[in-house]
Amino acid sequence: MPIMQPRIESMNRRDLQDLQMERLQIVVNQAYAHVDFYRRKFDEAGLSPDDIKTLTDIRKLPFTTRQDLMDNYPYGLFAVPLRDVVCLQFPSGLYGNPIVIGYTQEDLRIWREMVARIMVGVGITEHDVIQVAFNYGLFLGAMRFNQSAELIGAAVVPTSITSAEIQLRIMQDFRSTVLASTPSFALHIVETRQKRRIPRANLSLRIGLLGAEPWPEEVRQIIEAELGLRAYDIYGVLELVEPGVAGECPARQGLHINEDHFLAEIIDPVSGENLPEGEEGELVLTTLTNAAYPLLRYRTSDLTALYYDPCPCGRTLVRMARVFKRTDQMITVRGINVFPEKIREVLALFPEVETDYTLQVKRKKGMNDQLQLLVAPAQAVTHKETKKKENLEEEMQMALRRAIGLRIEVKLTEKGERKEAR
Amino acid sequence: MLKIKNIEAFYGKVQVLRHVTMHVLAGEIVSLIGANGAGKTTLLNVISGIHPAANGSRVFQDQEIKGLSPEKIVALGLVQVPETDKVFPSLSVVENLELGAYLRRLDEQRRRQEMDEVFALFPLLRHRQKQPAGTLSGGERQMLALGKALMARPSLLMLDEPSLGLAPNVVAEIFKTIQALPAKGSTILLVEQNAWEALRICQRAYVLEVGRVILSGSGQELLHNEEVKRAFLGKDYRGKWER
Repeated sequence: MPIMQPRIESMNRRDLQDLQMERLQIVVNQAYAHVDFYRRKFDEAGLSPDDIKTLTDIRKLPFTTRQDLMDNYPYGLFAVPLRDVVCLQFPSGLYGNPIVIGYTQEDLRIWREMVARIMVGVGITEHDVIQVAFNYGLFLGAMRFNQSAELIGAAVVPTSITSAEIQLRIMQDFRSTVLASTPSFALHIVETRQKRRIPRANLSLRIGLLGAEPWPEEVRQIIEAELGLRAYDIYGVLELVEPGVAGECPARQGLHINEDHFLAEIIDPVSGENLPEGEEGELVLTTLTNAAYPLLRYRTSDLTALYYDPCPCGRTLVRMARVFKRTDQMITVRGINVFPEKIREVLALFPEVETDYTLQVKRKKGMNDQLQLLVAPAQAVTHKETKKKENLEEEMQMALRRAIGLRIEVKLTEKGERKEAR
Repeated sequence: MLKIKNIEAFYGKVQVLRHVTMHVLAGEIVSLIGANGAGKTTLLNVISGIHPAANGSRVFQDQEIKGLSPEKIVALGLVQVPETDKVFPSLSVVENLELGAYLRRLDEQRRRQEMDEVFALFPLLRHRQKQPAGTLSGGERQMLALGKALMARPSLLMLDEPSLGLAPNVVAEIFKTIQALPAKGSTILLVEQNAWEALRICQRAYVLEVGRVILSGSGQELLHNEEVKRAFLGKDYRGKWER
């Protein structure tokens, strides 16, 4: 299988580390000079950029967390003047305490290149027709599939989240060869194909590029068997780039991290200590080339392990194990991230209910599918007021949808009925 | 071709380079830009072995050159054209060029042939062959310095401020010649005050600020970088958060 940039992707590891060090010196110098937040963190730790002389010296620095990103809204973490920023993104929406991330033209060019690398790596060529069935409105990374496909010369059919029936019709009409979507949506297409009795032979699919949520191997097998393709995992971090941080290669022994742009560490999520190769822990990433929004030691909350031994595909880039677990309480439902604090923010708008809640997750084939929110009324809602109760549920459902982008069924419980909030 | 890592250098107690890490690939023109006192010239002097480095490593064509004498480094093909005193004023143009090839011990015919190549690159010098270098104009002297360096057949040529003190039309000529050098087998590391020209003709560039590498990227990319524009190209933006 071809490698798009063998000079980088198959670079010997010593040269790669030298390149990482060259870039790290610049990131550290820029962050210290232009981001007050980082200058403060360095000063508090009694460090200067001169203390970062090797890649492991980065361990002297404190972590950057999601909370830091929220606290420094809007421009607190930007390292370049706004004149250099050409794109703003709000990875967790605009609701409540948002996060805003900026990208320069060069940042975007690198992002497109990273996704194109992964596409070429799994065998996508200029002869392919890529059906992008990601939610363009909610998942801003969807656009990257278009732009990276252009780089390769492949054609894009941006079907977004139109119904599975239409997806299947388009697949047949345009002979789509690649499906890019969340695994749960791919599963939904599988079910619809079975229901509508569309023969597998009518589809021309050969590659699936799936991501934005955890998906077990059983789901991979079902999607591959039912859609007649080979499915690959693509990984990203919303607060950095998603997709594009890492992707599977044909060997499927983990996802190759684009290490010329990210420095990866694994830490014990509780102690913060670095863990050796092969041990599971939280993935921590330092951006090496993001000019607008450099992040030093960003805690991704994703649990994985790193493997540095050579991969049969010929790439020398480190491999990370597929991600199935998080260190925080965020859950991903059909590719949409749901943070508990966002739900709490919405509930705070309704004085009629408590802010403690129970979230029930209905799963399908081992993946999160539907959410039901159980919440107790603050004052007893009498039976005479049932209509009001239904109205309230409806209103809360709409508010949650606006804030999170997902339908969450709301059920008002009787007082005392509420289970322990998760 | 050249890889330097964590270079630190001092003048007395003053630290002028702070763990500088960078590389140059074969066939590239790489520019090093920065304000006065950023440490550009010191960095070149460290690479060519003239100024001692306190720390770090310098690898030239897979060989560690730390501790080698400047002559040994030149013999390896790493040649520097300094900012000043680059030619011997009392020697003629031809003698200066011959000195450039001194370490290579060429036979007469070969030397003549290579000198002809230099004259082809700088036709003005052909008419001044016998003239003492001290009587040349600033532009001619710069050309002679380049020619002298090329006589050493460098695989990496380090140029320190080749445009310094020259008239604009001469500067254009010099840069045109520099741009043609990679095709003739030389890789270029260029130090320049004239940031616009240096960025325009290079593949990649590094920006030095008080002894630190603060930016790197392609020449085109840095030409459009607001920080570079403000610091070196004399352009200003209104405020950090205005467009």
